[in-house]
Amino acid sequence: MALGFFTDTTLCIGCKACEVACKQWNQLPDDGFAFTGMSYDNTVHLGAATWRHVAFVERTVTASGPPSGQMSGVGDFSWLFLSDVCKHCERAGCLEACPTGSLVRTEFGTVYVQPDICNGCGYCVPACPFGVIARREDDGRAWKCTLCYDRLKGDLEPACAKACPTDSIQFGELATLRHKAQARVEALHDRGMTEAYLYGADAAAQPGTEGLHCFFLLTDRPEVYNLPPDPVVPTRHTKESWRAMAASSLGLLAAATVVVLGARLAERRGRR
Amino acid sequence: MMHPHGPGHTAPRPDGRNIDPALGLLEGEGALAKVRDLAGAFPGRAGRLMEAKTPADALARATATGLPTYYDQPLLQEPVWKWYIPAYFYLGGLSGAASVLGAVAEMGGGRAFRRLAQGCHLVSVAGEILGTGLLIADLGRPARFLHMMRVFRPSSPMSVGTWVLLGSGAFSTGALLLSRRSGALGGLGHVASAGAGLLGLALSGYTGVLLANTAVPLWQEARKSLPSLFLAASAASAGELLEFLPLRRIERKMARHFAAMGQAATLVSMIALEREAGRVPRVTRPLRRGLPGALWQGARLLTAAGLGLGLLSRRHRLGALLGTAGAIALRFAVHHAGKHSARDPRASFAVQRAKPRP
Repeated sequence: MALGFFTDTTLCIGCKACEVACKQWNQLPDDGFAFTGMSYDNTVHLGAATWRHVAFVERTVTASGPPSGQMSGVGDFSWLFLSDVCKHCERAGCLEACPTGSLVRTEFGTVYVQPDICNGCGYCVPACPFGVIARREDDGRAWKCTLCYDRLKGDLEPACAKACPTDSIQFGELATLRHKAQARVEALHDRGMTEAYLYGADAAAQPGTEGLHCFFLLTDRPEVYNLPPDPVVPTRHTKESWRAMAASSLGLLAAATVVVLGARLAERRGRR
Repeated sequence: MMHPHGPGHTAPRPDGRNIDPALGLLEGEGALAKVRDLAGAFPGRAGRLMEAKTPADALARATATGLPTYYDQPLLQEPVWKWYIPAYFYLGGLSGAASVLGAVAEMGGGRAFRRLAQGCHLVSVAGEILGTGLLIADLGRPARFLHMMRVFRPSSPMSVGTWVLLGSGAFSTGALLLSRRSGALGGLGHVASAGAGLLGLALSGYTGVLLANTAVPLWQEARKSLPSLFLAASAASAGELLEFLPLRRIERKMARHFAAMGQAATLVSMIALEREAGRVPRVTRPLRRGLPGALWQGARLLTAAGLGLGLLSRRHRLGALLGTAGAIALRFAVHHAGKHSARDPRASFAVQRAKPRP
């Protein structure tokens, strides 16, 4: 059974209840109280102690009228909100990079870091094309969203989805979520919001990750929300690198052979 | 003891969780994270905040460049490796290439080049021991280094490399201890030497594959030239170091020629990398600017100087010294350029928006 999230950004009101619920349920430490000046976003990015992050995108009203999204009410701009989370990719870069077997695929189809195994090698960190998983320097291990593995074990929905007051975060069985999401896009299109589309809903939509278990409904380009437009799990290209290495290593062997045979010839000539 | 919250309450732990230990149990999935230094736990965060742009700035830049970003915030997490890792790239590569030369010298030259072969075995054993130490020191949990050997995961170049390093270390130690013996033990030493040579090919190149297997735009876009660059630089590093060992004249000449081939191949591979990754010009920006850019250009100059002095002058040792500095600078350049590249969301976006590679 594959479980996941469908995050519908057109329903998000930027209340950050998901961030709070996640911190509280998982007993995550704070990561500083900084003021960024980036709209209402002082969380900035997902990290080792931040497993939900609400992005606040401000867009100005243009001549062609107001862009879709929540009108701010305080100036000529509209807001787009997106509650970002680990995508639990169908093909996960972090999992395939992990050399210890700490990162595993659970019975719910989610990607989970086992804290008792992780030795903090740090390889999963740059392997994630979304910049999700991170290492805590004082703890030494990598941490990320578990999709509330403990709650799933107890037949409870994850804390963020439970806390979301507008159902922007919907939790459920992946196939059902995909149907719901498709229906939602069609309904929005019918209402004239033709820019609505699904991000990473399945392998066809995002071949680089073979689909996300936590996918999104967006109304602008992915870059606007700090999502990669066409993420590719690095391991998809590793064969090319191994092949290049094999070819070049023949060059190294040839160099050593030339040196040794050349020296033998020179010695023989010298003796004569 | 009296407490502001009343009797029976203890002060909240300074772990950023605000959970009173008398009232709350720490059993959540994030509760296992040890908090020693709240402010210093995320060295990258200060940088992120510094790069943060106000909505107006972000909008102006997005309009000017036509490429939207989220307040210029990095898309990726920056690699967390410290200086140990580029230093290991140098030592591991050195060991691998020395094993290759040692094995070929032993098999192709017999007793004639036994001092060179022995020198190679010594260099590779030393490099592997020191390099392994650096790898362990870089772990977030060094005491758990044995967890690297829990599994073999072919999809992870780091897992493959761990086993290559382990096997190569065993073989080159065997070769160092046994290959000068006579009889069966000597035979075993030769087998070990051949094994070290074979694994040495992988040991000097896998680190390039390891970096290419990340989402860092510069490393990912250099996925074909990085392994070649690291192999070439390994040959150069090994030859340069052997110059300082007490070898016969002809053996030192062999080391010099091996280094020269490695240096020439390094210079060619650097251009190949710039061309491969430069398909989207934004990606190679870290190689042209700042500290990584200076290291990259410095590595090129030092390698060229080492090549010139090694071949054309009699100041071989100076050449070897400059070449070594170049080989080390090269590893640090690639490492730091990768960190800079990870901070540049536009590089990732531009690559993903560009036409797929043939």
